[in-house]
Amino acid sequence: MNILELRNLHVTVMNKPILNGVDLSLKAGELHALMGPNGSGKSTLANVLAGRPECRVTAGQMLYRERDLWPISPEERAREGIFLGFQNPVEIPGVSNLRLLKEAYNAQRRHHRQPELDAVAFRAHLRDRTAQLGLPEEWLLRPVNAGFSGGEKKRNELLQLMLLEPRLAILDEIDSGLDIDALTLVAEGINALRSTERSMLLITHYPRLLDQVPPDRVHVLMGGRVMLSGGMELARKLEQQGYGWLEEMVT
Amino acid sequence: MNAFLEGCQKQFSEQSAHLPGWNALPIRNSRQEAMQRGAQIGLPTPQLETWKYTPTRTLAQSRPRFHTEGCVGLDLEDLEPLLLDRREGHRLVFINGLLSRSLSRWQDLPAGVRVDSMANLARQAPSLLEPCLDRFLTGNDQGFAEINHALWLDGAFVQISPGVCLSKPLQLLFVTTAFQEPIVTLPWNLVLAGNDTQAMVIESYASLGRSSHFTNAYTTLMLNAGARLEHLLMLTETTAAQHVGTVQAIQQARSHLDSRIFSVGGALTRQDVQIMLAGEGSRCLQEGVFLAGGRQHMDFHTWLHHLRSDTRSEQLFKGILDGQAHGVFNGVVRVPQGVKQIRASQKTANLLLSDTAEIDAKPQLEIHSDAVQCNHGASVGTLDPDALFYLHSRGLDLETARRVLVHGFAAELLQRVQPAAVREWVAQRLNLEGSAP
Ligand SMILES: Nc1ncnc2c1ncn2[C@@H]1O[C@H](COP(=O)(O)OP(=O)(O)OP(=O)(O)O)[C@@H](O)[C@H]1O
Ligand SMILES: [Mg+2]
Repeated sequence: MNILELRNLHVTVMNKPILNGVDLSLKAGELHALMGPNGSGKSTLANVLAGRPECRVTAGQMLYRERDLWPISPEERAREGIFLGFQNPVEIPGVSNLRLLKEAYNAQRRHHRQPELDAVAFRAHLRDRTAQLGLPEEWLLRPVNAGFSGGEKKRNELLQLMLLEPRLAILDEIDSGLDIDALTLVAEGINALRSTERSMLLITHYPRLLDQVPPDRVHVLMGGRVMLSGGMELARKLEQQGYGWLEEMVT
Repeated sequence: MNAFLEGCQKQFSEQSAHLPGWNALPIRNSRQEAMQRGAQIGLPTPQLETWKYTPTRTLAQSRPRFHTEGCVGLDLEDLEPLLLDRREGHRLVFINGLLSRSLSRWQDLPAGVRVDSMANLARQAPSLLEPCLDRFLTGNDQGFAEINHALWLDGAFVQISPGVCLSKPLQLLFVTTAFQEPIVTLPWNLVLAGNDTQAMVIESYASLGRSSHFTNAYTTLMLNAGARLEHLLMLTETTAAQHVGTVQAIQQARSHLDSRIFSVGGALTRQDVQIMLAGEGSRCLQEGVFLAGGRQHMDFHTWLHHLRSDTRSEQLFKGILDGQAHGVFNGVVRVPQGVKQIRASQKTANLLLSDTAEIDAKPQLEIHSDAVQCNHGASVGTLDPDALFYLHSRGLDLETARRVLVHGFAAELLQRVQPAAVREWVAQRLNLEGSAP
């Protein structure tokens, strides 16, 4: 079954066309990489899948597990298993990571008619995950992303991902800003989450992460469409030659 | 003249002999003078600059009903959520403005701390009150305060002897119960913190039942040299109630005052805070958070008077407004000529949750000296759409996401409340549980 299927997707932001007919499908258990030059619309694609209101679908379809995503609210998409790891996670002063994680986790549990976890059980449930990411205990009491370094924000996104265990994870430049050791930790985290049940779309600029998290497929987004798809060799070619050679194909 | 003031004068002329302290000449004089001044200046109207936004008309036109009987048959259970610590906490509980001994608990206060009902004290030891009578604020905008000075029936008296430290917070709880017709309560509270004392006093106002009533309160805080006092004011009456109050603090040398206000109650809430930094080396921190929704009107006017050199004040006041609520924050920092080494910082930040909510936030610096380090800022904002989307993308619906962000906005001030037990209780009273981990 396709977890995600995009057919001829057109999206505008503030009336400006950004995506002009994206076709892409992702099967259960697959991990795909999405690459493309700055401003090509990768984040827009990630955002429209998560339901950001500014991104307007003007044509085409987005199917998530064979359901049309368009009418579904962002919060319901999340509870149904779509997770967006943001390129620029928002800072929320005054709200602790613990609070956010607990609200998110319990919202999902309620949606699936499972009992909520109490404070103690929840802390225990979280402990393994913070340890796995090498995060100190007091991390949970810090306000969400406030004053976090770029790399810390990314690790925080991964912590949320590990807790929420989505069916479709869209990770927008999860590797940017990470130091070498953190990149390995994050890659290990992602690999640990790979399963036949879960699909992932990794947006990245560098094959560095992909070396540690081998993708099933690599797509290049240019001119608002998927210009080319291939395997790891495509990512390497882009690293060596940039996007120039593809430019001719766009026009 | 209006019905409210007329009713007060009538009460005064008919009932004066029953007013606490009437037999002690200074108290009687003080009451009579206050009634005279009150009648002369009348209740404040929007014509006065300091009452420009406060809708006092309905209040002024209502006929006051005074309640002079003892307390109704209430149990501690009835008060449970209103009590900071039901089992072991120290507290004075006032029901409909009058002390209830059975609900209060102060037996095991440390030696050197005297607490009592003001009514009792005015009868038995009026001389303790006398020095405070001429410290009341005056001015043509003090109409409500004058009525309190003329007609106060009870309140909390707290006296801490030099050097004594209260390890537990002392709660002063004022509860008004439902009546067929709305009643008026007029508490006067007096806290005398001796030299080098330490204490936390939590003054909280609440209602039982949803009916309307009017509280007109006045609290005097006297901090002697080196005293450290933390004063928490919790305004949690029903949204049908009206509340007008003043906290007046007079600080001597090296004293520290932390004044914190948390407000969610009242159809109309008008709270004044007047802090006199009257001794060198005195410091005050003044903070507040108010949450107003529906058609609530909440109005805070603060004055920080740097009367001596080497005094410091720091203020942070936050408003959260929803529905058609109207909020007012007017913060005056006053530094007269000739005083030196002053530091003052004042900030107000406000969050509007609806298009129809309104805030008038005005910092007002009246600085007549050069030797001042002063900064101030005022902001008004709405919920950050990026933050809302971030929370939605984690599965939180709009209501939960808003609540989380509102808590985050208030958290900065809640987190500073120590100890944790008090912080949690405050959060719960404000419906902000979970905002401070
Ligand atoms: N709110 C907005 N208003 C106007 N234009 C926008 C808005 N948001 C995005 N855009 C434009 O949409 C285009 C695509 O942006 P997007 O963030 O999707 O690119 P990207 O592929 O993720 O780039 P990068 O690799 O730099 O992250 C850009 O030209 C950007 O300027
Ligand atoms: Mg991007």
